Amino acid sequence: MGNRTEEDYNFVFKVVLIGESGVGKTNLLSRFTRNEFSHDSRTTIGVEFSTRTVMLGTAAIKAQIWDTAGLERYRAITSAYYRGAVGALLVFDLTKHQTYAVVERWLKELYDHAEATIVVMLVGNKSDLSQAREVPTEEARMFAENNGLLFLETSALDSTNVELAFETVLKEIFAKVSKQTQNSTRTNAITLGGAQAGQEPGPGEKRACCISL
Amino acid sequence: MASDGARKQFWKRSNTKVPGSIQHVYGAQHPPFDPLLHGTLLKATPKVPTTPVKARRTSTFQEFESNTSDAWDASEDDDELLAMAAESLNTEVVMETANRVLRNHSQRQERRRPPEPPAVPSGDLRLVKSVSESHTSCPAESASDTAPLQRSQSLPHSVTVALGGTSDPSTLSSSALSEREASRLDKFKQLLAGPNTDLEELRKLSWSGIPKSVRPITWKLLSGYLPANVERRPATLQRKQKEYFAFIEHYYDSRHDDAHQDTYRQIHIDIPRMSPEALILQPKVTEIFERILFIWAIRHPASGYVQGINDLVTPFFVVFMCEHIEEEDVDAADVSRVPADVLRNVEADTYWCMSRLLDGIQDNYTFAQPGIQMKVKMLEELVSRIDEQVHRHLERHEVRYLQFAFRWMNNLLMREVPLHCTIRLWDTYQSEPEGFSHFHLYVCAAFLGRWRKEILEERDFQEDASVSMEDSLSDGAQELRASSKRTSWRKAFQARPLCAEC
Repeated sequence: MGNRTEEDYNFVFKVVLIGESGVGKTNLLSRFTRNEFSHDSRTTIGVEFSTRTVMLGTAAIKAQIWDTAGLERYRAITSAYYRGAVGALLVFDLTKHQTYAVVERWLKELYDHAEATIVVMLVGNKSDLSQAREVPTEEARMFAENNGLLFLETSALDSTNVELAFETVLKEIFAKVSKQTQNSTRTNAITLGGAQAGQEPGPGEKRACCISL
Repeated sequence: MASDGARKQFWKRSNTKVPGSIQHVYGAQHPPFDPLLHGTLLKATPKVPTTPVKARRTSTFQEFESNTSDAWDASEDDDELLAMAAESLNTEVVMETANRVLRNHSQRQERRRPPEPPAVPSGDLRLVKSVSESHTSCPAESASDTAPLQRSQSLPHSVTVALGGTSDPSTLSSSALSEREASRLDKFKQLLAGPNTDLEELRKLSWSGIPKSVRPITWKLLSGYLPANVERRPATLQRKQKEYFAFIEHYYDSRHDDAHQDTYRQIHIDIPRMSPEALILQPKVTEIFERILFIWAIRHPASGYVQGINDLVTPFFVVFMCEHIEEEDVDAADVSRVPADVLRNVEADTYWCMSRLLDGIQDNYTFAQPGIQMKVKMLEELVSRIDEQVHRHLERHEVRYLQFAFRWMNNLLMREVPLHCTIRLWDTYQSEPEGFSHFHLYVCAAFLGRWRKEILEERDFQEDASVSMEDSLSDGAQELRASSKRTSWRKAFQARPLCAEC
């Protein structure tokens, strides 16, 4: 991202959080956007979202993170939200093997609805519960490598790697975008939901500029 | 908004179905939901009911108005708003859009549609439409007034704040209030005193709120769980309770079987993650909820267990429980001190009443959730007609109705309003013929209308809603109490959800 520092980016990156019910998606999000963790956070119904703006170099990136319900029945609703996403965190609970065993299905679901270029990170959450671990780190890392995914283990409870996970995904997206803008004219390469890259948002009214890779 | 004859209002009280409306899927009795089938159904039927509807059109609203006008004590007519409300919706447009959504979804989902379990014949799920008398006295019920609201949101903070829509009793003259309360309670007691209660009357009376002491019996009557005739009641209760516990004996052990363990696991992990009421976390109560939900799920395979259904157990359980506990605050009650046989009865009653509620909205929870998609579409249509400004504003900011209203439909606003308000709201829902489906739509419209100012001021719907929900909740509730008399268009839709009662 280094060589485009002269540009004042003001992007919104749409990122989705997916994975089985109860793996900790909502707490990962609240830890990242509000630095909060709740032991009794309520089940997510359908889709909810939160945002946080991070600086990558001199570029302000607004991460618009869509937290989806893990329950099968909501899939018809939630998968509609994969469209236009440029990043995804596929979360499993490393203390429950069943939530890892279905990761491949989630991945397929994601690629069915999202762009092929979407940046995906496999996230093994609840690393604070090491005694109850059911998924070995190496096994998950191998799976991620073989499938071209980023990989991290996190704990929303004690904050381990949460910031790093989101930032790594955002950086990766940013790098892709920067590369793309270098290789072609910006207008063609980036769709910005009405506005264009580098364009100043109107005073008082910030536009959502979603990137499509 | 043109008044061409093809338009039909979908007023609650018009008993005619919306043309082409999706038929409810009565889980165990109905073949599994087939989106394609529904597609044809929708296309095939729209014209049929148009004529009778047209004929009834004018009378329906007036009839509705006069029937319910007494529910509005502080009556304040606003002709313009009422006229606006009387505007009929173009159902053809609604259905067309709903149809399109369903079609899109069915196309998208068809490939990986999971095989639905086979339908199982179920017991008697029909509503008993008659009512009879009863004398019941129970201690005052009080669902926690201070229940914290949701901690997450699908719309920015200003919108998902609580509807504390009850006018605060303390703001009214207390003597006038108690007088009115007493006379209302008398009316209920009189009505419940005969050998056969007039259900129609009971509905009318219940519409504007049921006094706490007669709420359990009234809910059981309104839901059709209790028979009209008082003499038949003990036998019916005994039979239904026996039936429920036979289900448990028959099915509950299968919760660890391969076929059902996913369902059970989901229920098990969801119960601690539902309403904020501490009551549910008491081990005995958690077990009751697990049994109720598991039995319901495997007896209704067309939908099975879906998050949101769990919330619907709570109001029934709390209302029925209140008959048997001393504590004012139900959360403070120790359920382990309640006798086992009493608890068993409460469990069975809760199961059957919840089942009856779900019979009316099961298509909210079947594959692709057509009931919700339809209602969200209708809400959009409704808002676009009654409040174009808000509608345009949402459109301009690319806020989709499904985004914020999905949960309103899926959990019947239980994530958005405190439990005691839900209980009050259900008094009205149960006195309406399709309260939990159709009438709820208007309540959602009113709910959105309540926050219109905040919505219109909101310029950035991409912003994070990190403002303390608790703060906005109390502000919102206070403000709503103060303004509950002012919100005229809610009245126009007869959707004033709450009154001085609770």
